[in-house]
Amino acid sequence: MEISRDAYRAIEDIVGPENVTDDPAFLDSYAFEWLAELVRPNRSHYMPRPWAVAMPISTREVQAVTKVCNKYKIKIKPISTGWYHWAAPMKDNEPTVQFDLRRMNRILDFDERNRFAVVEPYVICAQLQAEAMKRGLNCNIIGAGSSTSVVASACAYFGGGPSSFYTGNNSDNLLGQEWVTPAGKIVRTGSLSSGAGWFCSEGPGPSVRGITRGGLGSRGGLGTYTKCAIKLADWPGPTEMDVQGRPPGYRLPIAENFRAYTIGAPNWDAWANCYYAIYDNGLGYIFHRQFNLAGADLATAMWLTYIDPTKTLNDIETLAKDPKIIAINEKARISFQLILAASSVDGIELQDKILNQILAQTSCFKVERYCERDMAEFTNMYMQRLGHKHCNFMWVGGYMGSWMQAGTPDFVKKYVPTAIKGFKEDQESHKLVECGGDAMMGCGSTLGGGGYFGLEQFVSYDPADNDSIDACVKHMEDAIEDCMAAGVPLGKEALYLQIGWPDEKIWNGMAKAPQTFVFNFQRKFKEAVDPNSLGDRNYPWLPEGWGQTQAK
Amino acid sequence: MGIENFRADAMRCSRCAYCKWVPLDLMKSWRFSKGCPSVEYGKFDSYSAGGRLITALSLMDGRSTVTDKVRDSVFMCLMCGSCDVTCKMCRYDMEPLLAMHELRAKLVDDGHLPKQLEPMLESLRKDFNTMGEPHARRGDWAKNLGVKDLSETTAKAVFHAGCRYSFDGEQSGVAKTAVEILKKAGVDFGIMGAAESCCGGKAYSVGVDQQLKLAADHNLAAWKKAGVDTVITPCADCYYAFKRLYPKHAGSKIKVVHMVELLDQMVADGRLKMTKRVPMKVTYHDPCHLGRQGEDYVPWDGVEKKIFGQAVCYDPPRPRYNGAFGVYDAPRNVLKAVPGVELVEMERNKEAAWCCGAGGGAREAYPEFSKWTAGERIEEAESTGADALVTACPWCERNFTDAVRGRKGKLEVLDILQLVNMAL
Amino acid sequence: MDTKKRQLAAIVGEKNVLDDRRTLEEFSKDESFSEPLIPWFVVRPGKDSEVQALVKWANATATPLVPVSSGAPHFHGDTVPTATEAVIVDLSRMKAIKKVDRRNRIAVIEPGVTFSELAPALAKEGLRIPRPLMPRANKSVVASLLERQPTTIPRLNFSLPEPLRTCGVVWGSGELAFTGEAGSGPLSLEDQWKVGLAQVEPKGPAATDLMRLVTGAQGSMGIVVWASIKLELVPAVRSYFFVPHDDISGLIDLVYKLTKVRLGDETMLLNRAKLASLLEPQPAACAKLRDALPEWVALVGLAGTALFPEERLKVQEKEFRAIVQQFGLTLCGGFPGVSRADVARLVDGDAGERPRTVAQKGASQDIFFLTTLDKAPPFIDTVQSIAAGYGYPLSDIAIYVQPQHQGVSHHVEFNIPYDPNDAREVAKVKDIYLDASNALVDQGAYFSRPYGYWSELVYQRDATSTDLLRTVKHILDPTNIMNPGKLCF
Repeated sequence: MEISRDAYRAIEDIVGPENVTDDPAFLDSYAFEWLAELVRPNRSHYMPRPWAVAMPISTREVQAVTKVCNKYKIKIKPISTGWYHWAAPMKDNEPTVQFDLRRMNRILDFDERNRFAVVEPYVICAQLQAEAMKRGLNCNIIGAGSSTSVVASACAYFGGGPSSFYTGNNSDNLLGQEWVTPAGKIVRTGSLSSGAGWFCSEGPGPSVRGITRGGLGSRGGLGTYTKCAIKLADWPGPTEMDVQGRPPGYRLPIAENFRAYTIGAPNWDAWANCYYAIYDNGLGYIFHRQFNLAGADLATAMWLTYIDPTKTLNDIETLAKDPKIIAINEKARISFQLILAASSVDGIELQDKILNQILAQTSCFKVERYCERDMAEFTNMYMQRLGHKHCNFMWVGGYMGSWMQAGTPDFVKKYVPTAIKGFKEDQESHKLVECGGDAMMGCGSTLGGGGYFGLEQFVSYDPADNDSIDACVKHMEDAIEDCMAAGVPLGKEALYLQIGWPDEKIWNGMAKAPQTFVFNFQRKFKEAVDPNSLGDRNYPWLPEGWGQTQAK
Repeated sequence: MGIENFRADAMRCSRCAYCKWVPLDLMKSWRFSKGCPSVEYGKFDSYSAGGRLITALSLMDGRSTVTDKVRDSVFMCLMCGSCDVTCKMCRYDMEPLLAMHELRAKLVDDGHLPKQLEPMLESLRKDFNTMGEPHARRGDWAKNLGVKDLSETTAKAVFHAGCRYSFDGEQSGVAKTAVEILKKAGVDFGIMGAAESCCGGKAYSVGVDQQLKLAADHNLAAWKKAGVDTVITPCADCYYAFKRLYPKHAGSKIKVVHMVELLDQMVADGRLKMTKRVPMKVTYHDPCHLGRQGEDYVPWDGVEKKIFGQAVCYDPPRPRYNGAFGVYDAPRNVLKAVPGVELVEMERNKEAAWCCGAGGGAREAYPEFSKWTAGERIEEAESTGADALVTACPWCERNFTDAVRGRKGKLEVLDILQLVNMAL
Repeated sequence: MDTKKRQLAAIVGEKNVLDDRRTLEEFSKDESFSEPLIPWFVVRPGKDSEVQALVKWANATATPLVPVSSGAPHFHGDTVPTATEAVIVDLSRMKAIKKVDRRNRIAVIEPGVTFSELAPALAKEGLRIPRPLMPRANKSVVASLLERQPTTIPRLNFSLPEPLRTCGVVWGSGELAFTGEAGSGPLSLEDQWKVGLAQVEPKGPAATDLMRLVTGAQGSMGIVVWASIKLELVPAVRSYFFVPHDDISGLIDLVYKLTKVRLGDETMLLNRAKLASLLEPQPAACAKLRDALPEWVALVGLAGTALFPEERLKVQEKEFRAIVQQFGLTLCGGFPGVSRADVARLVDGDAGERPRTVAQKGASQDIFFLTTLDKAPPFIDTVQSIAAGYGYPLSDIAIYVQPQHQGVSHHVEFNIPYDPNDAREVAKVKDIYLDASNALVDQGAYFSRPYGYWSELVYQRDATSTDLLRTVKHILDPTNIMNPGKLCF
């Protein structure tokens, strides 16, 4: 199916002919998405193809193209770095223009004194962090890593990361934002709407920002976020990272006012107690369970291989059988990473003392091998810049995150055994990477100050092997069943699978939710701001009349 | 190999966009954070390595055809390997650079070679050089230098000047300097002169593998006849061709040395004594084919195997070319040894170096893109406050020199040999 | 009228429906310059179901409802009806502290719980909440949080609504729905607790922050029937410091630094009038104290909590002193006649029945807004210049600057005391209020909490946002019964 020539020409007139295309191969690079194979017919790697891709360079161009799409009733789907299958159009044969925002890539302002930066959608976390650190500041980098868009995580999706415990969730760090609604109106929120600058996202009165993102965000389904201001935190480290070593295992020397630890726990109760103690003591600059993503059975072998540039994955096979490595692995089985930072040497020494006391009180411990210089410096590098996040895909290229229901440590602790057992059983098919049942990764807290997070199983499958893809989908379905049996809300696997479901199936699920109020609100809101329904179903809503009494 | 062999790579691409950037750990600023000139210039995702993998898949799946736009997206790439380094930060199972090469080869086979590349290839076929110059003039630069002619005699080493130094009058002085240094150091070497043929690397880079094979067979035969066991070159492109492509495509076992490696050895063992002060602040540009693509060749002929159920590895273990062990230290050691020189690094250096813009056929086929790429690097060099941009490849030097000419700054472009010569 | 009374009585019980003249007059006005308007009834529900029934009834009868949680006096006009035949929904009977969860540091309370009631209940568990500066004793905690009243510990303020987390809301449509993570679970707190949910995450549910639609809304979207609040540990040791200066500009770098490195708990800037009023409620004594105080002080409270509290305090004090010195400032631990207990009361206590500045002359008009700290001095100059133009004694104006959102935005507040029985002074202060408000808005002050006249100034500045808010209002309160006439509604 083809975009009408009139619509195409109108878009060309706005962005310039070199910034719009409907060449099929080009369109396929937007249709092809990670996770598509889990939800598309015949395990296709392609989501629905957009009918054209346009690259605007300014809010004015975004607005103008949006208006063209309104005229011709073409759906719009903005992306910045464009990752996840929901970044693509949602339905086959539905006209959609993909807005690729990569030309909107500037840091517009850096207010060092008031600690915020104003950015366009294609500024990625790593860029912002590099600039912020020059100024003694830092930004929150979300769990998906520093190659992600700041605007996307602040305005449109999730927003938590390893540094959120200290720097805050990007939703809370969001200050003023600029948004082009699906109808083509430009909305400015908070202090920006009053012409008072970017510094505040709340108000005036009730906050318009309350309708722009929520918890999950609209994931491109409610117009285009063209700018935002993001709050920055203190960075007591050097203004430039003195990165050492060779790829891939770069290392960051640990300054005297920092520490980088891997903490192990003897059991999940102790682990939860340790988390609570860390919250109570306000300890930690970065707090994350990262390395277990490789699978608790293989993690030590994998990471020790990874930091050696002469090694390949073949070496993991040998290393994983080494009794010394097995012993270390057992220590690290229930572990997490903790980076401490202080303004002074006195401060960091006190933090060390506090941490040691917490460990003693909770029967937890530092995992020695991980705290040796090479691994500690690697941990420091990994966690500060979060530039190795695609180790998620290291085993074979496919990774799907299941579970990840967020709650308190006690809440998470309850579903962990079920998640581990289920995953281990699913590995018996040999069609998933057999890394042990615990391949869970998650933030110490996605909220500033602590208290809330989820653990996500890293399920590794081969996207080039349909049997492996099938095994991953089976795991997702098993996880859903396990959740329902355990009375736990559904996890990320359901969110991913939903992308491939027909509307009715999604609505049926939503209608059975204990509270459907927000979905009805969102329907009404969408009707008001998106009268031509140009935004897709990533902004979820229930049709009128559906709800607890209407579920079919 | 064939692009079909990379179908799995394409399907395993996670569309993570790492291929567009320098390794994220190494980012020091917004301005100099990008790694891939192609996607920075072309903008659409198809101009990135990930995008090209998807193009390959799309073509293989019959979902699209090669249009002019698609052809340009495939060939408007410097084949610099930045994407390869950053992708392999996490992905042990991917070979984006190799896959892009095979995509080019496929397009060439199917008749989609950009017309702009034809003169270069015709010159290669007819006159064994990429410069459109008569073959007979190839050795003229070395007249009166008193160098052995290996078409008539033998030596332990052959000095291979390469097409650029052989024919570019502005640059051939570098080759002469190299020769003088080799003579002074007492190295037993000669040159092939008019019998020297292009390394074939450029042909390979645009997907015309056959031409590489022909060049390799010719050069190896000539060197064998001349009794050499080592080829020395001042050109990074040639270095890469001899070191990484000849063993793979022509079974070469010859030792390959870049002049900068020799200089480093000579400084270390005292054979090179630099006594004159050269009070300059310089920054060093790592040529792609000497730096991240200059790693040792490890022969491999194996198959994919899976461990732990689905984890991909290889039997036997497949060597990883990820830029970790490129030739980075040698030129820096040499520069630090030049009296009076202060070396300042650009933000993107070593395996993260931004390309000069000359490679992959881009200088010939997409000159605006090539020039833009060089301009970006010049800006980065200027930002260090350096007086000179020093490198170790004639193609980098040519592209930088041309780019500097259009600018207001006073940045000098030098080969490392020229700088060393100032200190002798 | 009788019918309505009967209907209301059927919902909340006869004794909780008040329509005596005295009660109605009390609720018809407040201490702002808002025009009074007498309501028809004051009802006092005792539980969620009664609130929901009230809202449904109001929809059916097109009756405006004005929710009020705190006891009198009120000051901002939000509790004064702006539509006739209004019913005041007085939530002060809903005083349950439903849960104090020490482990997750979350409390769930009803809207009638005041600061003076909550503090001891939390203290039993070694907990506290970040508080506004000397709230009045009968101030509702939930109301304070919904109003986004600034709290005094900026380092804990990860977002402006903190420590508010989730809410149970009877929306203007009459539906009961929860906000945040509570909005995704069962429609019953007890059922949520059974499955281990703790009402921690404020965002959501789905793609909407329902909590943010009810904060700052002046009761115009719905009625909050419970709220979950993030708690902090009670410090084991405390110390307080004043950093004096004769000009606020001299203290700005200090405050920027302290909030940047998150050193200290309470951090605020007070001019002498404000500080004196907080320390000394008696007007004559207050004036005397005021004259003895420095023009400005930064008040910084340091605290040691959890493990090694004394050592934490020691490290903080060392760093604090070094920072003060770095900016060429001096420290003082107190003032003559002012005891440590007085300061502790300022930091942790409440104001009694009436705010302290009101006590000075009998009434006080507040002007407050948000800004970045660097812009505070010119705003202060503006207000002082306007006040001086009207011949108002500048020494009487209390000024308070409270860093928020970990130092990114700052609440700037002026309290202008006046004698409510002096008609000329009343008129003068009203003129100052209006002129200053106009000037401040034009100068770039952000009235994020647009009470009364400010709503006219603010909502005309951006038609698109205003339209969106009206859209939201229309969805959440389709019959426009929730405090109509407020904000832009």
